[in-house]
Amino acid sequence: MGRYFRRKLLIYGVTFFIAVTINFAIPRLMPGDPVARMLNRHSVSNSESAAALRTYFEDVFGFDVPLWQQYLNYWTALLQGDLGVSVFAFPSPVSSVVLDALPYTIGLLVPAILLSWIVGNGLGAMAARSKWLDNSVLPLGYLLTAVPYMWLAILLVWSGGVLLDWFPAARGYSLSMQPNLSWAFFVDLVHHWFLPFLSLFIVALGGWAIGMRNLVIYELESDYSNYLQALGAPRRLVRRYAFRNAMLPQISGLALQLGVVVGGALVTEVVFAYPGLGSLLLNAINNQDFFLLQGILLFIVIGVLLFNFLADVAFVLVDPRTRLGLEGGQS
Amino acid sequence: MTTDAALNADVIGKRNEHLYFALRNPKVVIGLSIVLGLLLLGLIGPLFLSSSPTAYVGPKSEAPSADYWFGTTVHGRDVFVQFAHGLRSSYLVGFLGGGIAFVIGLTIGFTAGYRGGLTDEFLNMLTNVVLVLPALVVLIVISSYMEVRGVVTQGVIIGLFSWPWVARAVRAQTFTLRNRDYVDLARLTGKRSPQIVVREVMPNMASYLLMSMILLFGGAILFASMLDFIGLGPTNAVSLGTMMQQSMAWAAIHLGLWWWFVPPGLAITAIVGALYITNVGLDEVFNPKLREM
Amino acid sequence: MTKRRNLIALMAGTALAVTACTDDGADDQDPEDREIDEFPRSETLYTTGSAWEPPGDWNPIIPGQVTGLNGLGYETLFLFDPNAVELTPWLAESGEWTGELEYELTLREGITWSDGEELDADDVKYTIELGQVDEVPYSNIWNWVDGVEAVDDLTVRVSFSDARHQEWDNFLYWNQIVPEHIYSDRSEEEILTGANEDPVVSGPYTVHSYDQDRIAWVKRDDWWATEHLDLEVAPTYIVDIVNSSNDVTLNMLAQGDIDLSNNFLPGIGDLIEGSPELSTYFDGPPYMLPANAAMLIPNTTIAPLDDPAFRRAMAFAISPGEIVDTVYDGIVAEASPTGLLPIWERYYDQEVLNDLGWQFEPSEAESILAEAGYTDSDGDGFVETLDGEPVEMTLNVPAGWSDWEEAARSISSDLRDIGINVTEEFIDAAAVDDARVSGDFELIINNWSGMTHSPWSHYQYLFQQPVQDEQHEANFSRWESEEGWALTQELAATAADDPRYEELLSELQRVSLEELPAIPIWYNGVWAQASNAVWTNWPSEGSDTPNAYPSTWNEMWRMGSILMLTELEPAQ
Repeated sequence: MGRYFRRKLLIYGVTFFIAVTINFAIPRLMPGDPVARMLNRHSVSNSESAAALRTYFEDVFGFDVPLWQQYLNYWTALLQGDLGVSVFAFPSPVSSVVLDALPYTIGLLVPAILLSWIVGNGLGAMAARSKWLDNSVLPLGYLLTAVPYMWLAILLVWSGGVLLDWFPAARGYSLSMQPNLSWAFFVDLVHHWFLPFLSLFIVALGGWAIGMRNLVIYELESDYSNYLQALGAPRRLVRRYAFRNAMLPQISGLALQLGVVVGGALVTEVVFAYPGLGSLLLNAINNQDFFLLQGILLFIVIGVLLFNFLADVAFVLVDPRTRLGLEGGQS
Repeated sequence: MTTDAALNADVIGKRNEHLYFALRNPKVVIGLSIVLGLLLLGLIGPLFLSSSPTAYVGPKSEAPSADYWFGTTVHGRDVFVQFAHGLRSSYLVGFLGGGIAFVIGLTIGFTAGYRGGLTDEFLNMLTNVVLVLPALVVLIVISSYMEVRGVVTQGVIIGLFSWPWVARAVRAQTFTLRNRDYVDLARLTGKRSPQIVVREVMPNMASYLLMSMILLFGGAILFASMLDFIGLGPTNAVSLGTMMQQSMAWAAIHLGLWWWFVPPGLAITAIVGALYITNVGLDEVFNPKLREM
Repeated sequence: MTKRRNLIALMAGTALAVTACTDDGADDQDPEDREIDEFPRSETLYTTGSAWEPPGDWNPIIPGQVTGLNGLGYETLFLFDPNAVELTPWLAESGEWTGELEYELTLREGITWSDGEELDADDVKYTIELGQVDEVPYSNIWNWVDGVEAVDDLTVRVSFSDARHQEWDNFLYWNQIVPEHIYSDRSEEEILTGANEDPVVSGPYTVHSYDQDRIAWVKRDDWWATEHLDLEVAPTYIVDIVNSSNDVTLNMLAQGDIDLSNNFLPGIGDLIEGSPELSTYFDGPPYMLPANAAMLIPNTTIAPLDDPAFRRAMAFAISPGEIVDTVYDGIVAEASPTGLLPIWERYYDQEVLNDLGWQFEPSEAESILAEAGYTDSDGDGFVETLDGEPVEMTLNVPAGWSDWEEAARSISSDLRDIGINVTEEFIDAAAVDDARVSGDFELIINNWSGMTHSPWSHYQYLFQQPVQDEQHEANFSRWESEEGWALTQELAATAADDPRYEELLSELQRVSLEELPAIPIWYNGVWAQASNAVWTNWPSEGSDTPNAYPSTWNEMWRMGSILMLTELEPAQ
């Protein structure tokens, strides 16, 4: 087990290192002057104040020292939690801008991922059992996994938000509300949260259902199932073993799918103008706010790594082989 | 399956058998017809349509009619013309992105699986790292630094970041195949490693490779549409993703111009969904066990 | 002012406030003590269209982006009235030239800052003297201001080395007065780059609270204009929402969540006909008052764009009517060849326009080209330069700005029709910014010559010299016109009631039409669509309604938009 975790942690460490390096390298590799582009966007029409800002940004980028030192400085600042200042929300620091948006994205993602996983696996396992259910779950599942996240979101805004007018079509909470701990605000929040959540949930659902269905069928066809059946074990018992074994790949799949679902959450938020990282990302792009963009990337990478780690822990808890160090190499 | 010759004969025989079953499998037939039909529309459509996808043809915000099959946009652009051109971009991105990812994934997977040892350690680490990186966000960061973005560059960068799971799977398969007798035999006859991989290992996982290629193709199309939607699409071309982005930007949802945002999303769903269905069909063709079910 | 709260902070503080929010806002409650969710809808004005970023910067010196900072909060000495085309006293009671090089300002009595201090001559003196710091945006006034002196509490005397009437007028209505008693304690750096939280202001509103996507202002009960000018702002609260997509904005407007949207919303003409609750300034095209001139900017450092005759041919070839009708559906208007906004119509020199004006006339464009020696000798359908080099130019506009993309397409195709090979190309918005600043382009569109108190700013925009490697604000054509620049500088120093003023404007019109450094095509509007669900009596062309410009854009409050708030009436 120790080896298993050491190995995983090494991978996550290297991933983080590479993500930071990408952040560092891209602005320096790409053609053009990133500082000039940020300033042009910042609508600083006054040349004197533009000059002051330019000095600031060049200082932050640290273009005047050798590359290796820029790289070291970059890490130093990062480890102190300094991600630079946002151009878009000047003069707020990137970290606080991102932290403000983060709860909304987490609030969408975590329930959507977990619920779709649970419901999807349940559906898949049931589909493996009954022919008629299989015939409807399978095509529907493939259709759902093929739907681009934003398109489903658009359809939901259009139907539920505009045509039926059952749900608000945009934002995280009403214009006349402000975040507080009242019941009214909570209801308002959930009301706004529902459609974006539903959109993510539905798209993710299909993949899990299909995956589970295929895995269970595969397990039921396997030698041990046949053997058990031959021995006269009850069908329920055989199914339980099959289900349990099929869970394992689904748990590691959970971690692997995360990157995709995060991407889906970003575009879904854009459609709903939901005040999370996705909308922030769009603003960063539109304002050429590179610091903010990179800050968002870092936060997402950290989040994905953390979640991966949690999935690893779950994996170990469920799979006795890993727990006993019998299968350390499979990562 | 003990000698080289017997194996090859077996492979060829299997191929014909597979083709026979593929053409009789409704999933494969339906899936492929949708994919190829839309491809044909994207390839040929623009040749017959006189106007450019960004030309405004006249009436604004018009519902679908005999003149404008998919209606027009707020500005009076013909949605069907955009749609046909958009299909073209999407397929191009799919081929490029999927193709590049396939080649990289294959190379890394084979090298790691066949060479083993330190090479494997390193490549496997690389694969796992790229696997956990949230690809879309990395692509967004890279694209946003580009001043001019084209369909081709988009395809290339998508390809560069979507290969890991193929590499992983190919590596695992190669591991099991590389110790088979016929591979040992080939090695004894003094063949070089790349040759062995291409001649002996690849044919034995051809079905698997074909299916990966299909999934990568669909994945690249989905990826591209998300990038386009966030405003990082090609700057001088129309794609299905930019159509959706533009429809959002010009309030199509609120103005009720459903014909502007429904077709592009539907097309992506149809292409990718059809690819998946084809894949399931192929799976049944290659795995007789599933075929019986 | 309440600090922004985020959800994390909220979750952390669970124990605190669960029971606190239940009292039902009794009527005698102080408006400032109400939370946003307790604002009565009938007393609150919801606006959007001004802010693109989350509020966070309250700095009036290097102006932040917070909606209303300049106008609702800080105020200027004068307002510019775009209808009467003159400055009207605001914080100042009066101001006049008391000598060739001396100007005297009299302030109103009893103006108080929001912290209770008096606003007096020292504040004005301090604000003007802040310009001696180079980084302050208006530091250029000290090139021609000599000194400033507080004669008594309410009188300020400014002496000049050069009486730049137009530039001084610009200062009077553009720059807000800051409180000396707060600012004098601050370091230079804090003044320049500090966020200036909790601003102490003189205007009708103070900051109530803010959040990522909105800012709320609450009415002050001791605003000076109530006593002096019998003006009272109607809304107790103003909540300005940071811009989001057109779709979201349209939805909010239709739902009555937003009272005034200053966004560019295509198709609004049709929408208004179907929804009686919505209104615009004009009932029919162009719906909006004009705000700025969109011009085709040729890079005059390269052939053949360096030739005025060539540019003149281009002017005749382009059809602004098509852009107005097809691209904009009539919500913009064709520009006058002078490029001067319609508020300056009285200065249009008809004679110059008769001699040098143009209209869409491709045949005339072709004959100008031929006359100037531009011919198609290699038979490819397009003219060559005078040296016989092929001409192949691109017109760059930002990708995704659909209206400009359409306009660019229309312009390029008009130009190709007369044999000038121009192709439209859409590039990333930042790349367009780069090109404009560095001069690395052939043709672009720009609309930065907007409404001000004087046509002087337009000519400054066209002719500003010297041309530098990076042009940030003006003269993107990089056209070097000695005559134009000399006249512009003279105009800056001429009072509007001086007979020379009109002469200069005529000469400038002649120069700009002869040399044509940029080709005016259409006027963009002061985009404004109001909902009458909660507030009525919006400004409109009707004689029974106010005619202030209905805008929340930061530069508009000082052009009289603040008066819109005093005229609003709650809907019955």
